[in-house]
Amino acid sequence: MFNPLEHKGLPIEQQTRSWNDLNVEPYAKRAIHPYSRSRIILMNGIEVEAILFSHQFARHTDNPDVRQKLATSRRIEAQQQKAINWLSPGDETPLETTIGYEQVAIDLTAWLARNEPDPYIKQTFDFGLLEDFDHLYRYANLYELISGERAEELTQDLTEIMPGRPTAVEHRHPVDDLRRHYDRHTVDPLTRLHVMTLVAGEQQTMNFYMNHGPDFMEPVARGLYLEIAQIEEQHVTQYESLLDPVESWFEQLVHHEYNECYLYHSFLSEETDDRLRRLWELHLDMELGQLQVACDLLRTYNGIDPEEILPPALPQPTRFQENKEYVRDVLAGQIDLRTVGPDYVPIEQLPEDSASLRYQDQVNGDGIPSEAVIDQARADGGEYRRELLGTHPIDWLRQPAHG
Amino acid sequence: MTVITPTKNDGAIGVSAPMTEVPPEQTLDPAAFEMFAPGSGLNGQFLADTLSAFLAHEQCGVHLYRTVAGASENPVLQGKYRQFLAQTEQHVAVLERLISALGGNPYYVSPTARLVHAMNTGMLQGVVLAAGSAEPLVRELAMLEAVLLAETKDHADWSFLGELVDHVPDGQVRQALAAAVQEVEPEEDDHVGWAKDMWRKMSMLQARSTMTMKIADFTEKAMATLKNTVTGGG
Repeated sequence: MFNPLEHKGLPIEQQTRSWNDLNVEPYAKRAIHPYSRSRIILMNGIEVEAILFSHQFARHTDNPDVRQKLATSRRIEAQQQKAINWLSPGDETPLETTIGYEQVAIDLTAWLARNEPDPYIKQTFDFGLLEDFDHLYRYANLYELISGERAEELTQDLTEIMPGRPTAVEHRHPVDDLRRHYDRHTVDPLTRLHVMTLVAGEQQTMNFYMNHGPDFMEPVARGLYLEIAQIEEQHVTQYESLLDPVESWFEQLVHHEYNECYLYHSFLSEETDDRLRRLWELHLDMELGQLQVACDLLRTYNGIDPEEILPPALPQPTRFQENKEYVRDVLAGQIDLRTVGPDYVPIEQLPEDSASLRYQDQVNGDGIPSEAVIDQARADGGEYRRELLGTHPIDWLRQPAHG
Repeated sequence: MTVITPTKNDGAIGVSAPMTEVPPEQTLDPAAFEMFAPGSGLNGQFLADTLSAFLAHEQCGVHLYRTVAGASENPVLQGKYRQFLAQTEQHVAVLERLISALGGNPYYVSPTARLVHAMNTGMLQGVVLAAGSAEPLVRELAMLEAVLLAETKDHADWSFLGELVDHVPDGQVRQALAAAVQEVEPEEDDHVGWAKDMWRKMSMLQARSTMTMKIADFTEKAMATLKNTVTGGG
């Protein structure tokens, strides 16, 4: 039982670190445990979201006290983001980082889905899971094509690499990416944390692809990043639409800080890298201090006691673990699921005049980069897969016979 | 136990709406509406949703009074806000008991209640988030205006319930409604009356002030005058 409200944490005025503290020694890309890298990637996204949220909040107030407290906490969040993201080594290419991002997306989303108490939210996670699963397969093929290296050296076979719901059919009309949101009153505290975590993770993935896609010379790489970056935008649209919009800015701030406490606390106990464990411990202590500031703002400007809206203790922790069998089960049962507005329907129930089908015709009309990369891989000696638990569970996604 | 912000931990329940998803185990059984206020001849669903909204407004009132009592720089206004805060907390308890007595669940948060909560949140955020735009006396007046708006709606809610009593046949529902109204309505009369009167006095004070007076001087003098006005001092 850990109740963040019972811990004062590190006072905000003691949280500033020097450039030397922040310019951390990068990890060795072939030596780091994939799930340690996953935690780094996710917490980078979480800190980025904390910074962006705080900026948005600051643009909606001229209350000097609120602005000053937001600016002070935000400066620390920005330092935390640097301390985490600067762990990434310079010899890790954007494509290698991308494979790490997709491994995060798969094993995080699968864990959250497996532990999600709300059936509609779980369905939404499962739906997104199959799409990110497909992205890993496409990027892994790109990796072999342009680098001659195999993605399993990075994922270390903790995650299978094979087709999911094909990226080409993931493109939906914007209205088919909007979901129903939870209600702040009835939502399980774990659901809120799950949704906030995925919004931050997918947002960071979207930002990374939209900015690093043009780093490449190869047209097939530029095309693939372009196409998948658009899907990540869809995923952000999808997951953020699950958030209850009636929570005030101050409530949202508290929930952001609380989620950061929750995740650092979760990862502190499962981290296998001593240096990272110390970083998560320090950041938890800092977040506890920032949570105190956010709670004071909530009391002062909303008249809400934090205990009114927060659970008495942190829910069960989030873990990075293998989810191969779970992913296969979801593949087998949901590969043909589609959306009509906020509802999930089997493909055969998709209306003939579906806005998403029309949208797909538009964007896929002149060629599909996510298919082109596989075509090129096949022409270049065969496509890359890591099917570790047997053949693909879906007949039509099994590898075509050679010759 | 009185709950100011119902959550899952408190047993909050709701209903799904076009863009709201409530988990099945926390969804109000529609049959519950038919059993709400039995024998009253009233629309059970409308009444259950509306009482939930009235309760939400009282809960938001608690948050409002906590906020303005902490933010006001005038000890007299602070005292009044604290008095109204205590009474509003009681009104929450009265509504919880009334809803239970009518066969409902006080932790049911209706779609109407969600909208009421959103409106109240917007009003309170307007007062606190734009606080840097104004001098202390202007902020004080804005907070009082928020109280006046909230109390005006609150008064309308309880007046409606008072009128509703006349349309309900004798029985348990009528008794429960009448008892709640009898307990709360006089205080609501007091709240809205005070807020209206105080807002008028403070505004009049500023309207009749010397135009050339510097803001800082004005603020200081007006606050002193206001204190005398509300305490009846010379």
